[in-house]
Amino acid sequence: MLIRIQGGRVVDPTDGRDAVGDVWIENGKIVAPSERTPDRTVDATGCVVMAGGVEVHSHIAGGNVVMSRLLLPDLYVSESAPNGHPFAHAGGSGSWVGANYAKMGYTTAVEPALPPSNALATHLELADIPLLDRGALAVLGNDDHLLQILRDGEGKNAVRDLVAHTLSHARGLGVKCINAGGASAFKDGVLKLSLDDEIPVYGLSTRKIMTALLDAVEEIGVPHPLHVHCNNLGLPGADDSFVSTLDAAEGRRIHFAHAQFYAYGAVDKENPLTGGFRSAAERITEAMEAHPNATFDVGQVVFGQTVTISLDVLRQFAGRKGANPKKWALSAGDAEGGGVVPFLYKPRGGVSSLQWAIGLELMLLSKDPERTILTTDHPNGGVFTEYPRIIHLLMSREEREKEIATLPAVVGERSSLPTIEREYTLSEIAQLTRSGPAKLLGLTDRGHLRVGAKADVAVYRDSPDRTAMFSRAKLVLKDGETIVEDGEITTWRFGRTLELDVEADAAIVKRSETYLQDRYGQGLDSFAVPDAAFSETENFEDVACRA
Amino acid sequence: MAAWVKGNAADTDAAVDAAATLLATARTPVFAGLSAELAAVRAAYRLADRIGASLDPAAGDSLYAELGSISASGALTTTAPEALGRADTVLVIGKRPWDGDLVAELAKTKPVRGRAAGADRSVLSLGGSANGSSRHVAYGVGNASLDVAIGHLRAFVRGNYAGEEAFGDLAKRLLAAKFGVVIYDAGEIGEAGTDMLLGLLKDLAETTRVFALPLADPFQGRAVTQLAAWTTGQAPRVGFGRHLPEHDPWRFDSARQVAAGEVDAALWLASLPSPRPDWLGSLPAIAIVGEGSADARPETAEIVITVGVPGSSAGGAVWNERRGVIGYVEATGKAVADTAASVIAGIAKKVEEKGASC
Repeated sequence: MLIRIQGGRVVDPTDGRDAVGDVWIENGKIVAPSERTPDRTVDATGCVVMAGGVEVHSHIAGGNVVMSRLLLPDLYVSESAPNGHPFAHAGGSGSWVGANYAKMGYTTAVEPALPPSNALATHLELADIPLLDRGALAVLGNDDHLLQILRDGEGKNAVRDLVAHTLSHARGLGVKCINAGGASAFKDGVLKLSLDDEIPVYGLSTRKIMTALLDAVEEIGVPHPLHVHCNNLGLPGADDSFVSTLDAAEGRRIHFAHAQFYAYGAVDKENPLTGGFRSAAERITEAMEAHPNATFDVGQVVFGQTVTISLDVLRQFAGRKGANPKKWALSAGDAEGGGVVPFLYKPRGGVSSLQWAIGLELMLLSKDPERTILTTDHPNGGVFTEYPRIIHLLMSREEREKEIATLPAVVGERSSLPTIEREYTLSEIAQLTRSGPAKLLGLTDRGHLRVGAKADVAVYRDSPDRTAMFSRAKLVLKDGETIVEDGEITTWRFGRTLELDVEADAAIVKRSETYLQDRYGQGLDSFAVPDAAFSETENFEDVACRA
Repeated sequence: MAAWVKGNAADTDAAVDAAATLLATARTPVFAGLSAELAAVRAAYRLADRIGASLDPAAGDSLYAELGSISASGALTTTAPEALGRADTVLVIGKRPWDGDLVAELAKTKPVRGRAAGADRSVLSLGGSANGSSRHVAYGVGNASLDVAIGHLRAFVRGNYAGEEAFGDLAKRLLAAKFGVVIYDAGEIGEAGTDMLLGLLKDLAETTRVFALPLADPFQGRAVTQLAAWTTGQAPRVGFGRHLPEHDPWRFDSARQVAAGEVDAALWLASLPSPRPDWLGSLPAIAIVGEGSADARPETAEIVITVGVPGSSAGGAVWNERRGVIGYVEATGKAVADTAASVIAGIAKKVEEKGASC
């Protein structure tokens, strides 16, 4: 079917487009303008046309996400779903996740924490997220097998082979390390860990583990750079961890998760944990400008109740004291485990307001929105459905001022947000939510509207009320098929889970089998993610490694 | 594959059609058991959503002893492989953990990872077996119930009680653990015991590392819980009577519903072994059971359909108890054509054609 989206304001920063024009689609791809009469014409007059949104860091599947639902079953509200849309309105369910991303014009979402020890359940859950293409990042950095190899000084090839095999077997799209060594250290009694602190028993450090993984990711040719969750998340002085980790990358590609939670400068350097924090957004921005090898996603805070989910068990253990309501779940699992801690970002609370301001500041100070990805670290900073409101705040100084006027003075005293005049353009929003994340994930077939791209397209009614505009797309196409009209799901379909096409070395396969049998009494088969486990016949789609 | 309708042998298609007719006309159907591969449980939740049924896994009672505590207070857990690899201190609560192999394996081995590596492992018991099959230090509970005994122990750990009593000694051992693990069955110690145990662990966490290792039920309850959570946002006992998932552990307890006369049809899903509910023959019901199982006979229910057994005559994602995760098992024998998932999908298709009453 030949489709013409006609007369909309087409915004594609990768092609320098920001003007009224047409977008042509055929067989699920963007095509060049055609002389033929289209089978379908979409009148996009008065609308903005963008590529489908791409999410790089949202906790939408996995054991800790499941635990969050059991711990806080009343976080989301369930409503009656329209016929034919099973569970779409079941608050917090996989279907609810898919439906709400799609309504906002998002067509791809990546779960950033795929524990190799629990890969099948995570993939089964991802597969039940409809409408979107999905992916997940395999987590490494605390597993005994990797730490043994590093401790024994086996060299880069051994690490590379283990990483490649783990990626392949867990069917990940990329690699993430979360407070590398932290979970292991926690089990051995450690409560705080910085980049060069020794990991008990192994004699390693976060720096050694992370740099080994950085090398392995480059050698394998993983398109997405190592996705790094640093030490000391959320603590005053965490900006030091961010900057020292950035330096430790020594020019290698690196992605920082939820940078907002690290942009906290200690007010009292002598007593960082008791003196409170101030914005370090300017420091982070300067560091990013000096390191073009790095990207970050923001982890914007949203006021209200949420639940924090992280495999950073060390951080979550410390965070238990701030649980609101006062309950929490923590697992000292195989490798990372994880922690689930409910949290209330108090509306107009001093700390919450400063966190809120810092996230916006990071985005507004950034000179390169394509390296600055919009996330709330869902649900850690807040629910992803708040993206339209955040976009509104980025695009309108007036809207920010109205919000700031309701907040405590600390926002002006400890951040520069009130003085920032910048207003994001639609092109910059597209960089923040489309081209930037797609490029970061190495997904060259999406995030833009150039010929050959997947026909993942979002059409929004242009409105100064950006919250309304981006909350309910007028039209969303996934692979050229209409999935949303006037903010409602029209077609219930399933996308694919994107996995990296990577081969494992036969020797490491044999070695892993031996290791796992010794440790678990079961081998690789018990960790497998076979196609046969999935109800949809074609669940996975390969993504090629870098040349 | 064998199937029966009202005691008479039938082909699977005819049995599926009869099942669809029963469910399409039912007003308050219940799906029970759910002891099956995840694909079948997934299909069951979808069918329940379609016709307004409620669901209750066979493991419901023991699951909710744990789930109630999680939603009220949380959890602090570890896995069996971590216990075997790291624990220098193991406390076994109650009798049921002694039935499996894990305690004996722990008693025979030493920790090999972490700061306790190489140390001797202390196995302690509270209100447990006195059969002497594994080397351990036993602490009795006298006439107290296990939940009260755990509360008593917690008072010593917190320093509210002091003295040379046995529980004082046990508290000292737990506080001195480098990596402690407490093994129990939530169904045995109950929700109050589970909640008190979590409080004990949280108190110990201020000093050292001690984690819970609750034993999984043998009826796929853990796997069902995960699927229910990502499918409905809630734990397993939900009802779809009002076209949205309503979670209510009391209301959707299938035994209570049947006893109260609230149910007019049932689907019992048990492609894996599961205790047959004693009420199954008391109302119009469909039984989807593993081929060759004791319940694969015409008397089991009004409609009986036999299906492949995961890990034997079918593949499937099921609970892996050793690792505490969902894993995939291949068919070890000749795979059969009808799986529980395909039968339920067939019923759903027929229900769609007939038009359900809800």
